[in-house]
Amino acid sequence: MPKVTVDGLEIEVPDGATVLQACELAGKEIPRFCYHERLSIAGNCRMCLVEVKPGPPKPQASCALPATDGQEIRTDTEMVKTAREGVMEFLLINHPLDCPICDQGGECDLQDQSMYYGRGATRYRMNKRAVTEKYMGPLIKTIMTRCIHCTRCVRFSEEIAGVDEIGAVGRGEDMQITTYLEQAAEHELSANVIDLCPVGALTSRPYAFEARPWELKKTLSIDVSDAVGANITLYSKGREVMRALPRINDAVNEEWLSDKGRYQVDGLMRRRLDKVYMRRDGKLQAAGWDEAFTAIAEAVAGDKGSIAAIAGDLVDCETMFAAKALLRACGSNLLEGRQTGMAYDVSNLAAVNFNSSFAGIEEADAILIVGSHVRWEAPLVNVRLRKAAKRGAKIFIVGPAWDTTYPAEFIGTDLAILNELPSHIAETFEKAERPAVIVGGAGLKNAHGKALALAAGWGAAFNVLHMSASRMGGLMLGYAQKGGIADIAEAKPKVLLSLGADETDYASFADSLKVYVGHHGDAGAHAADIILPAASYAEKDGTYVNTEGRVQFAEKAVFAPGDAREDWTILRALADALGVEVGFDSFGELQSAMIAEVPALGEEGLADYGALPEADKNTRAEGEISAYPVRDFYLTNPIARASEVMQRCSSELLHAGELQEAAE
Amino acid sequence: MSILGKIFTWWNGATIGTSLFTSRRGEKVGTDAQGNTYYRSKNKRDLNTAGSYSGGERRWVIYEGANDASRVPPEWHGWLHGAFDDVPESNLPPARIWEADYTPNATGTPNAYRPQGALEMGGKRARTTGDYEAWTPE
Amino acid sequence: MADRSPAPDTPELRARWGSFAFTEAYKVKADRHIAKYPEGRQKSAVMPLLDLAQRQVGEETGTQGWLPLPVIEYVAAYLDMPVIRVLEVATFYFMYNMRPVGKHHVQVCGTTPCMLRGSDALFETCKARGMKKGHVSEDGLWTLTEVECMGNCATAPMAQINDDNYEDLTPERLDAVLDALAAGEQPKAGTQEPGRHTSEPYGGVTTLKEMVDENHDYRSEW
Repeated sequence: MPKVTVDGLEIEVPDGATVLQACELAGKEIPRFCYHERLSIAGNCRMCLVEVKPGPPKPQASCALPATDGQEIRTDTEMVKTAREGVMEFLLINHPLDCPICDQGGECDLQDQSMYYGRGATRYRMNKRAVTEKYMGPLIKTIMTRCIHCTRCVRFSEEIAGVDEIGAVGRGEDMQITTYLEQAAEHELSANVIDLCPVGALTSRPYAFEARPWELKKTLSIDVSDAVGANITLYSKGREVMRALPRINDAVNEEWLSDKGRYQVDGLMRRRLDKVYMRRDGKLQAAGWDEAFTAIAEAVAGDKGSIAAIAGDLVDCETMFAAKALLRACGSNLLEGRQTGMAYDVSNLAAVNFNSSFAGIEEADAILIVGSHVRWEAPLVNVRLRKAAKRGAKIFIVGPAWDTTYPAEFIGTDLAILNELPSHIAETFEKAERPAVIVGGAGLKNAHGKALALAAGWGAAFNVLHMSASRMGGLMLGYAQKGGIADIAEAKPKVLLSLGADETDYASFADSLKVYVGHHGDAGAHAADIILPAASYAEKDGTYVNTEGRVQFAEKAVFAPGDAREDWTILRALADALGVEVGFDSFGELQSAMIAEVPALGEEGLADYGALPEADKNTRAEGEISAYPVRDFYLTNPIARASEVMQRCSSELLHAGELQEAAE
Repeated sequence: MSILGKIFTWWNGATIGTSLFTSRRGEKVGTDAQGNTYYRSKNKRDLNTAGSYSGGERRWVIYEGANDASRVPPEWHGWLHGAFDDVPESNLPPARIWEADYTPNATGTPNAYRPQGALEMGGKRARTTGDYEAWTPE
Repeated sequence: MADRSPAPDTPELRARWGSFAFTEAYKVKADRHIAKYPEGRQKSAVMPLLDLAQRQVGEETGTQGWLPLPVIEYVAAYLDMPVIRVLEVATFYFMYNMRPVGKHHVQVCGTTPCMLRGSDALFETCKARGMKKGHVSEDGLWTLTEVECMGNCATAPMAQINDDNYEDLTPERLDAVLDALAAGEQPKAGTQEPGRHTSEPYGGVTTLKEMVDENHDYRSEW
């Protein structure tokens, strides 16, 4: 623990800290461009110069200088001030003064820091450098003249994303940031370089010229595009969500956000359900709320218990609880959330939870992944796996091969290999100190028990990686039948409440009155008999539980369009129509009732599911993983499918080859 | 223009007094594209009269039509205000082909700019935030 | 500064260089460079390998060689590293030619010491022979590049032609060197000043005189 003095204030800093970190600990702000907490140190912007004694009598780049015992650091001297002014002046030599037309304006590091640390006016009279724009795909807009060569984007794609595609070509004044032959940046985290860029060189293409940061309303929310539950801020203007940016939460998403979570928000303005529809003569026609409620009441008349509910991937816990309360009041318990027909055992929730926690999986030194395309199912978990691999973890994957961003061994698609693991793998896990097993959607069906047994045998952490934001919350609220959705179909309910379920096969509910309570006109709406327009995740308060069992609360950013209502109000009104009492009249009452029933949902943070169940050593895994559930990363949910940006990403990044083939 | 109009109105061109003054003391210098005529004092006697800050000569304009100061184009504006001595044609660089013709301030006239969505433009509002695309069954 | 952008990626370029691979002799050399580094650190050999690739291209084209994109991709694949990282290295260092060059690559230093000692005249000489900065001459023999300091200031002005330095140049001496190269001879590298061996002072040594003929112990005289 070296002791250093920062501007006369003596503090103790952790071993291995840099001078910049020491200054931050002392509460001194050090301007910087290239330095970023989560990236390696580059030391090429020179903005963080400070005066350090002992040492050469010149300013030193604090980000790359280790703090050592007895250092005397000054950040407030004339030398530091002039050094910062000088660096800023050099940076601005080739930076265009186009802030009024720059999308970064208002949230630009260079703008802010030139105000604080720069000179008042320029002394530069010569021509500025101009750089051609580079194509980096449908999400990233580049104005490379503004680039100050901090190389944050290069380091991000190399270190965090693990996809070496951005580089700095040329040298000196001719240095340019580009992708090889200007190919699109093809990974699921590509848009994070937009946040990292301290200037307006990399900006968001879909958001270009849409809004200024100061005119946007910021709402804290949770990303529902996958089961990671990344913390986001929704930036809304009027009734439109303009963009979603990640919030820092080291336990969940660190500082990143997947491209889908970031750019599906434009789908919130398209294909919206904004009025009640009823199927008459085989055709959906606009109708009124009363008509629809009457029709539902008539359908269950006499047999109120014959009602079932299927929860979609994006719904919040409150909606699910409201539906559960409604069904219970009717005398039914036909609840299911696993739309695609999965029927794994949920008697112990610890067995279907990501028990390592995301931060914990970084520490693992041997990881067995059974049937999960982690890069597509949870890009942010993939980042953690990459970190683990960089620390030396050995990773083995059962399932069809996909592009990993770290060294990993694919050991076949046949699950039977789990029964007799090759000796080098078994040995790795037996020797490992912190092994972990991750079971994905494709492995849950046939290898759940075997994976549990393997984990128990090795003393490994057992993890299940879900793909839908509502899954863990649904399971906590009892949205699971023993036989999965088949049980519901067998019960032949007269009314089927579909809470935004778009992946379900509605053919098995041909005789039921299918009531779709959702926000987007997708598969569910097309199959429905009655459509009740509801709110999307941005339009209602709600609790979400991510795949590691983390309870998180999202707030309402905008109002639902047209006649659409928040889901719980629809279900509450339906209760009146059916003549039953659900026991809540306001969102607050609903939440208290939910928390009273499932106390874990009332506490933000990791829910405690207790110990893992005793594993049956003799179970055997069999079957083949032919494909992963996620076919197209960019189009996994109704919002993304409605989003133009996501569709463009899908066709440009994933299906570009196919289109070319089709053209030939 | 009728004599009566000259006597009783002041908003089109010179009044009688100005016309008399101009014919006695003024020397015509030139006209611009709109027909406004520019004068300067003929006699040295007038040198130090009002309207001259720097001891230079007195310069004035008689409008062809409405007395609207914004009708003076920039090159003659410069001459009027003593920015240069010669008439604009001989003093300024030749006009570039990309230079648009000078137009007076149109505020308050039918030619004034009206934003999209103004009633005079048909009242059709541009797309704004909060407009969404609704789903229809077909 | 010379244009360091890679030659455009055209179908012709792909057709000409798409099948590039190290010849047996170059492969041996390349693997020797890779073997210098520990297992898994083969990427460290990217610079010598790019140089070898450039030399092989030079042999195939009868020039000093350059690095077309397919060749860069080949080197990247050979070292199992991302192409963009190889491209970064190739565009950074001046010794890698990103555009085709002539049979002889004349790199005349134009930095201050050489300029003061008359490098402008050297450029004139080159120009008189039909060379143009950054271009291949019409006969395909020459490429002229103005470079920054090559570290031969004591023997300025200088030019680096192919792999050799020619120092203490005057227009006449440069002409002689270029004539010899054009005739297919290999002129003497190093200083062109008669009687000068390397970069020792003109007119004999002025200090450490006793050291000229034999080793001398000065310590007793301190």
